[in-house]
Amino acid sequence: MTKFRLFFNKDEETKWLNEMAGDGYALTGFAAGVYVFERCQPGEYIYQIDITEGMFRVNSDYRDFMKEAGIEIISMWGMWVILRKKAAEGEFVLYTDVESSIVHYKKIKKMFMIAMVLECVCLLMELIAFIGGGGILALVFSFFLAAMIIVFIKEIMRVSDILDELKERIGEGLRRNRKLPSLFIPVGLLMNGLGIAITVEAIDRYGAPFGVLKGFCHIIAIVCMAIGIVHTVRQG
Amino acid sequence: MREKQDNLQKNIPLTEALFYILLSVRKPNHGYGIIQEVEKMTQGRVVLGPGTLYGAIQSMAAKEWIQIYSEATDSRKKKEYIITDLGREVFAEERKRLEELLRNAAMMEGEEND
Repeated sequence: MTKFRLFFNKDEETKWLNEMAGDGYALTGFAAGVYVFERCQPGEYIYQIDITEGMFRVNSDYRDFMKEAGIEIISMWGMWVILRKKAAEGEFVLYTDVESSIVHYKKIKKMFMIAMVLECVCLLMELIAFIGGGGILALVFSFFLAAMIIVFIKEIMRVSDILDELKERIGEGLRRNRKLPSLFIPVGLLMNGLGIAITVEAIDRYGAPFGVLKGFCHIIAIVCMAIGIVHTVRQG
Repeated sequence: MREKQDNLQKNIPLTEALFYILLSVRKPNHGYGIIQEVEKMTQGRVVLGPGTLYGAIQSMAAKEWIQIYSEATDSRKKKEYIITDLGREVFAEERKRLEELLRNAAMMEGEEND
């Protein structure tokens, strides 16, 4: 069985994989959002997700260490590693103290920060391309990138919240109340991009239903962004 | 000497995980062996997760508090680690700190008896 999912939150992803394993579906492979499952005994495996230094590979030390601990490496994607262990061999938690959890979440935060900066650079280039007469596609990509940037900002803020909470537990710093951006905002940006993608020429060529679709996209976009802003400001 | 003392001071307090890992490699020990020994010493209170242990071993090996003792060449490859002299110095420094804590903690009882 294969399923397509986009996760940015590794804790939610871990929870989902363990729920699937609980229902008798064990993950055996992953690539670009496609999860491949095989039947297993319900609850046969426990899954965990780690972040490493390597890209699409782990060093031999890590591999040997996990193997020795009875842990299987299921997939490597970017810096992410999906691991599993037989539930019969006991508990499986990767990070068991505050200090190492802090190191773990700091790595995640750093990865998202770098990705976000790269996306901002791409966004700037697309905008310059559009202003320079690069055509509608540059503007569509700009909206797509803006949506991604907000999703990443949300994840950075979520991880920062976790880090604050962990640091508070060892007496460093205090928790803050962050307002995480609502996911309605990136959805609105995407819809707007979609609306722009339907050009006047396309409507001329393929008829009125495309015009209706374009209008519909823009209206949904405005509604989503309005809800998103209210949702973001009102929380907490 | 003074500088060395400052360097040692910088590394303490040790986290509980580092403290117990150092204690577990006073004799050559491998990953899973360390987890078991720490669990036994603390009567199940401290069970090191593989991520925590891996990170600790990597950082302590980089700081030369521990070193690889043997890399068995047979198929059942298990890397063993052992504490270095520097590791023992850091541990001794931490022990001094902990003894001071306990000594001072006794004041709590002293005042109650007064």
